Amino acid sequence: MFDTYNPPFTVEHGDNVIKVIKEEKDLIYKRFFRGTEEKELLLLNNDGDILINPIEPVNLPGKITSFMLVDFKRTVFIRPGDKKKIYLTFPVEIGVFVSDKGGKHEIIDIFTYSRVKYTLYGSHNKGLVCRYWQSEVFTDEPDTNILHEGYIELEIINDSGNLMEITQAVFNAYGMKIYYGDRRLGMKASMKIINKLLAETDFETFPTTSRFKRSMELYTSRKLMINATKGIMEFGL
Amino acid sequence: MNNSSVSQYIPPISDPFLQIITVIVILFLAIVIGKGITIYLQRSLKDKMDKEHLNILLKTIYYGIIVVSIIGIIFPLFDIDTSGLLVAGGVVGIVLGFASQSIVGNFISGVFLMVERPVKIGDQVNIDNKLGYVEDIKIISTIIRTYDGLFIRLPNETVFTTSITNYVANLVRRFEYVVGIRYSDDADEAIKIINGIIEEEPYALVNPEPTIFVDTLGDNAVNIIVRIWAPSTEWYDLKMKLLWVIKKTLEENGIEIAFPQRTVWFASELNTRNLQNGQMESDMACQNYSEEGQ
Repeated sequence: MFDTYNPPFTVEHGDNVIKVIKEEKDLIYKRFFRGTEEKELLLLNNDGDILINPIEPVNLPGKITSFMLVDFKRTVFIRPGDKKKIYLTFPVEIGVFVSDKGGKHEIIDIFTYSRVKYTLYGSHNKGLVCRYWQSEVFTDEPDTNILHEGYIELEIINDSGNLMEITQAVFNAYGMKIYYGDRRLGMKASMKIINKLLAETDFETFPTTSRFKRSMELYTSRKLMINATKGIMEFGL
Repeated sequence: MNNSSVSQYIPPISDPFLQIITVIVILFLAIVIGKGITIYLQRSLKDKMDKEHLNILLKTIYYGIIVVSIIGIIFPLFDIDTSGLLVAGGVVGIVLGFASQSIVGNFISGVFLMVERPVKIGDQVNIDNKLGYVEDIKIISTIIRTYDGLFIRLPNETVFTTSITNYVANLVRRFEYVVGIRYSDDADEAIKIINGIIEEEPYALVNPEPTIFVDTLGDNAVNIIVRIWAPSTEWYDLKMKLLWVIKKTLEENGIEIAFPQRTVWFASELNTRNLQNGQMESDMACQNYSEEGQ
């Protein structure tokens, strides 16, 4: 599904269908979810390509936060001064972009096949509202259905002098770098633990190939003013 | 600093042309210094104050520097006695002080509101029993747009001295339903169904977690309390949406919302039945008699 399409085209995934019809100079975009039409758009005077790819999973049903909290199903312990790589899953949100004459991409639709929930991280007045996702903790790269889940390769660095217990990780969408191929959809991140109450998460780049390429992230394409790309966990791990 | 102490360091200027030049130079320097200070303050306070209040502060500082330079430097330079001005100013000040007591009170309250910041523009608040959105916070008044679209101007003194409820100051907010089901229905099943509905709702937060429990065994219903936390921005939409979904889903699963009902017991129930039977027997006898007659 994740590719660039030249209209008219139809993409089918079971009974979930994306159909773009060409009517003279205009395009009609239709998306069906489980056989029912969920969205219809009319793109006037448009002959641009349509790009479908994964985006930062913090946009549905509306944009209320830029943070995602991954809740670990199993608690992780890491020794002081140690460094270890684990794998988590994250929900996939799919963005549909249309390119204009200058090759610039604009988002026209966002949808997901994953469950959407939100949670509060930290205190009621100074905490963060985050997209919630519960994940199993893997020590090897997990097999995921890339339309539903991707994986995060998370390197945990314990810079503190104590054994640390980790039950969750908070990520900032402003820093997310999503990569996808035919069967893999992933992000590479790090978590630096400073003490029991403070950690810092950040994203890193993957080496790209023609079969594993960088996604068109929504936050990059919107050119929003970036304050910070790191996720600061100051209310516990 | 009095006039003589300033003028003793400055040689007297008798030439009118030089006097004009001196005034222009002093004013020019005052303007340059004023501009410099305001540009510096604008840069350093840009992120800490909102634009309108920052503009007021900058203008006050800018014109304050010019006024001080006129009274403090130019007047002494030309031996203009400002002591009379000070006395007159003092008297005028007292008069103005009495006349503008409430304005000054509102102004000072406005300054404190800007520093304390209990409300921000766009917040949903209840101030002095006026509910609505904060449209603007000015130096002497605060503007509220009520939920039914009315414009209310509240003096800052009122805002500062009355209690303020800010509905969106915290990130999340809780709401509550009481769902009354029949005594014949299974409350455990109802709780499970309600929990399932909340699980499917994106903005019903995972943490703080929702609570659902049987609260009271009421006169007509088993009352289940449902408490849900939601982001403050989405709270009202979710509250409006979920109750009807809960009602419909419970009914689809055979659990009815109870309504008030009363069971009436008749003390002479048996006699009533006999009378009814006797009445029926006499009616039937009459019917048979008339059929035989025909």
